[in-house]
Amino acid sequence: MEYFLQQVINALSVGSEYALLALGLAIVFSIIGLVNFAHGELITLAGYMMFFAAATFVHNPLFLLPIGVAGAVLGAIVFERVAFRSIRNASANTGILTAFGVSIIMQNAFVIFIATRPKAVQTPEWLSSVMTIGTFSLPVLQVVETLVTAVAIGILLIVLKRTTIGMAMRAAAKDFTAVRLMGIKANMVIQAAFVVSGFLAGLAAVFIISRRGAIDPFMGSVPVLKAFVACVLGGFGSLEGAVLGGFALGIFEVLLQAFLPDDITPFRDAIVFTAICAVLVGFPDGLLGRRVELGDKEA
Amino acid sequence: MNRLRQSLINSLFPALLVLVCITVVHFFAEPFQVRVAYVFFMNLTIAIGLQIFMGNTGIVSFGHISFMGIGSYAVAILTIPLAMKRILIPDAPFGLAYVHLSIFPACVVAIAFTVLIATLFGFVLKRLTGNAAEILTLALLVITHVVFIAWIDLFRGPRALYGIPIVSTLYWAGAAAIVAIVIAKAFRDSEGGLQLRASSENLLAARAMGVPVEKLRFRAWILSSGVVAMGGILHATFLGTVGPNSYYFDQTFLIMAMVILGGMRSVSGAIIGTALVAAGSELARTLENGPVIFGEKLPTMFGLTGFFLGAVIVLSMILRRDGIMGDDEFEDVFHRWMRRRKEENSGKPSAVSTSSAS
Amino acid sequence: MLQLKNIVVQYGVVKAVRDVSLHVGKGEIVSLLGPNGAGKTSLVSAAVGILPKAAGTVTFEGRNITRCAVEQVVTFGLTLTPEGRRVFADLSVAENLHLGAATRKDRAEVAEDIDRYLKMFPILSERFHQTAKTLSGGEQQMLAIARSLMSRPKLLMLDEPSLGLAPRIVDRIFELMIELKKTGLTMLVVEQNATEALRISDRGYIMAGGTLVYEGEAAALAESEDLMEHYLGGGVAA
Repeated sequence: MEYFLQQVINALSVGSEYALLALGLAIVFSIIGLVNFAHGELITLAGYMMFFAAATFVHNPLFLLPIGVAGAVLGAIVFERVAFRSIRNASANTGILTAFGVSIIMQNAFVIFIATRPKAVQTPEWLSSVMTIGTFSLPVLQVVETLVTAVAIGILLIVLKRTTIGMAMRAAAKDFTAVRLMGIKANMVIQAAFVVSGFLAGLAAVFIISRRGAIDPFMGSVPVLKAFVACVLGGFGSLEGAVLGGFALGIFEVLLQAFLPDDITPFRDAIVFTAICAVLVGFPDGLLGRRVELGDKEA
Repeated sequence: MNRLRQSLINSLFPALLVLVCITVVHFFAEPFQVRVAYVFFMNLTIAIGLQIFMGNTGIVSFGHISFMGIGSYAVAILTIPLAMKRILIPDAPFGLAYVHLSIFPACVVAIAFTVLIATLFGFVLKRLTGNAAEILTLALLVITHVVFIAWIDLFRGPRALYGIPIVSTLYWAGAAAIVAIVIAKAFRDSEGGLQLRASSENLLAARAMGVPVEKLRFRAWILSSGVVAMGGILHATFLGTVGPNSYYFDQTFLIMAMVILGGMRSVSGAIIGTALVAAGSELARTLENGPVIFGEKLPTMFGLTGFFLGAVIVLSMILRRDGIMGDDEFEDVFHRWMRRRKEENSGKPSAVSTSSAS
Repeated sequence: MLQLKNIVVQYGVVKAVRDVSLHVGKGEIVSLLGPNGAGKTSLVSAAVGILPKAAGTVTFEGRNITRCAVEQVVTFGLTLTPEGRRVFADLSVAENLHLGAATRKDRAEVAEDIDRYLKMFPILSERFHQTAKTLSGGEQQMLAIARSLMSRPKLLMLDEPSLGLAPRIVDRIFELMIELKKTGLTMLVVEQNATEALRISDRGYIMAGGTLVYEGEAAALAESEDLMEHYLGGGVAA
C-alpha cells in the first residue's frame, strides 16, 4: 500500500513537471503559433540565477526559490522582446527555427561564460526530506510539487476566466485581429502569454533543480523535450491537452520505471516516445486536438 | 523524361564545382586540408539529404541525423573484423557478432536498413502535420540516441565502436555528394517534387486539388533518409570509429545551420550554406581552442562553435528568412543574369523583377 | 468627423483600393456600397489600421490617425465591427461584451452599458452565459455590434452586418441602427444590400474595382435606377 501510494505521488509529481512546462508551451503556441524551443533554457536560466544569488547575497535557500521563478519570467520576457518579436508574423517554421537557434545560443553562452561542468545549487533541506502521514512516508518534494502545480493551474484558470487579459489571451488563440479591434494591445497579450509561460517554467525549474541538486548548461533540453511530446500527445495548442498530455506522460514513465525489468529500464525514454508515436497513428491530432480546416486561423 | 534530362543538365554545374574542388585538394592540399575537404563533402551529402525532405515538404526535421547514426552503426557492425567484434560486442544479438561483410555489400545493407527504419517511422510521420510532425522528428532523434546508448550488447552503449576498416577517401565523399546533388535535383524537378512544394505553400488547397500529399511526403522522407545514410557511412568509414554522441544534437545544429543559411528550399542553397557554415565553424573551432595570434595566446572559449551555429540560424531567420538562395537554384540565377544582359544589350528596360528575396 | 484621403491598399502587386477619398460627418449614417471584391472591406480595414495603407491619410476628429495601430484607434472612439462578425467563439456572451470594453476603466459604467445593450438586444441576455459559438448567425451579429458598442465609439463602422442573415433579422439590424443613430452615434455601413442600407442612410458611396464611382445623397442614389442596376445589380432585386 505504501509502495503504491509512493508511486502514485511520484507519477503525479513527474506529471506535474511536464504539465507545467507543456502548459507554458501551449499558451504561447495558442496565441502566436510559436513552438518555443528555447523554453527549456528558461529552466537553465532559473538555475543559474539561483546559483549566482546563492553565491552573492542570498544565504537562506528558501529565498532562492522565488529568485529562480523570477529568473525564468525575466528570461521569457527578454526572449520575446529580443528574438521573437522580430519574427512575429512569419511562418511557423521561422518561429520554430528561431527558437531552436535561441536555444543553441543560450546553451553555448552558458558554456562559454560559466562552465560545462555541473554546479551545485542548494535548495531548502525540508524539500528533500521525507514526511510521514499516519503510517505512510512520502517525499516532501513530490507532495509539494503536486500541490503547487494544482494551485498554479487553478490560479491560471481564474486568470483566464476572470481577468480581461486572461479573456483576451483565450480570445487571441482564435482570432488575434478581432482582439486588437477591441483596443487590446497585441504586445500586451503576447507579453502576458510569455510571462505566464515563464512563470510556469520557473515553478517547474525550482522543482527540477531541487531534485537534481545541480545545474548545467544543457539541463533544460530533456524536460522541454518531454513537454513538447506531452503537447503533441494532448493536441498542439490545446491547454487542456497540454495538462492531460503532461500527466499522461509522467504517469506512463513512472509505470514503466516501476514495472520494466532492470535490463530494459535504460530504454525507457525510447519506449515512451515510441508508444506515443503509436498513439499518434490513431489520433494524428493528439488526444484533444482538432483537425485544421480550410479558412481556420493559420499560425 | 525531358524533365529528368533537364535536372541532370542543371546538376552539372554543382557537380563540376565538386570535381574542381577535389582536383584542387588532390594536387595542392596538406593532409589536414584533405580531412577538412572530406568532412565538407560528408556534411554536404547530409545537408542535401535533409534539404530533400525539408525543402520539398516545408516540414523542419530535427531527426535526420538519426539516419546518419543508423547508417554509420550499421556499416560499423557489418565491417568490423570478427576478431575485434569478439572483444567489443561478443554478445551481439541476431548472431551479428559472427557476421562480416566486405565494404560494398555492407554499404548497401546499411542504406537498406536505414531506409527500412525510416519507412516504419514514416507511417506515423505522414499522418501528422506542421509542428506536431516536427516535434515527432525530434522524438526520433531521441529514440535512436537512447537505443544507441542503452543497447550495450549491440552498440557498446556510450563507448565507441572501433576497428571499422578505414577505406573511404576524398573521392568517395565527392562521389557521394554528387550522387546526393543529382538525386535532390531530380526529385525537386519531378512532378511529385513540384506538387509537394506547392503543397508546402498551402497544404489544404493542394489536398483539395487531389495532390497525394501524404504519399509524396513519405517518398521525400524515404529518399532523404537514404541520402543521409550515405553521409553516415562516409563518417564511419573515414574515422574508423562510431559513438552515439556524433549523431545527436551537435551534428543536428551544424547541418540545420547549413541548410537554413543557404535557403532550405533550394539545393544550391544547401551547397552554399554548407560551404559558408563549414568555413565559419572551422574558424570558430580555431578560436575556441585559444589560438596564438600575434604572439598572444587567446583564452579558450568552449561553446563558441555552437554559439556561432545558433547565431547563424537566428540571424538568418530574422534578416533573411528564405536563406541566401530563397527558391532559386544556380541555373535560375544564371538565366536571370543572361536575360538581363541580353536586355541591356538590346537596350530594352528589364521587365522582370530580379529581386528574389521577399 | 472621419476623413479618408487618397487611400491606396495594395496586396503585393494588386491594388485593392486605388486612391479613394470619402468623409463621414457627425451624426450621419453613410453607406459604402458596391459589389463583391470592390475593395470596401479593404478600405475600412485600412482605415482603422488592420491593413497597411500604401498611400493616403486618415483623419478622425481632426487628428491624423494614418499611422496609428488599430488598438489606439479604438481608444479615440473609432470602432469597426468586422465582416463575418468574428465574435470570440469560445468565450461566453458576457466575456465577449467584457472584452469589448477592454479599453475602459470605469467599471460601474461598463456594467450599466452591459445592462443597456442587453435591453436593446434581449436575445443576448437569454444567452448571457452561453459560449458565442452556440449562437445563431443573427445572434452573433447582434453580439458583434453590442461588443463594438461597449467601447463607446463615436463612430462605428459596420462591415456587412446583414451578410448571410435571414430577411427578418436583417430588418431588425437596420432598425437597431436607426435607434443607435438617435443616441448620437455616427455610422459608416459597408453593405451589398444597397436598397436596405440606403433607406436608413443619409448619404452613400459606391465602389467598384477599387475606386469610388459615385457619391451622393442616399435618396437620390436609391432613385437612380441606372446606377443601382449597373453597379449593384443584386441590391435592387433584394
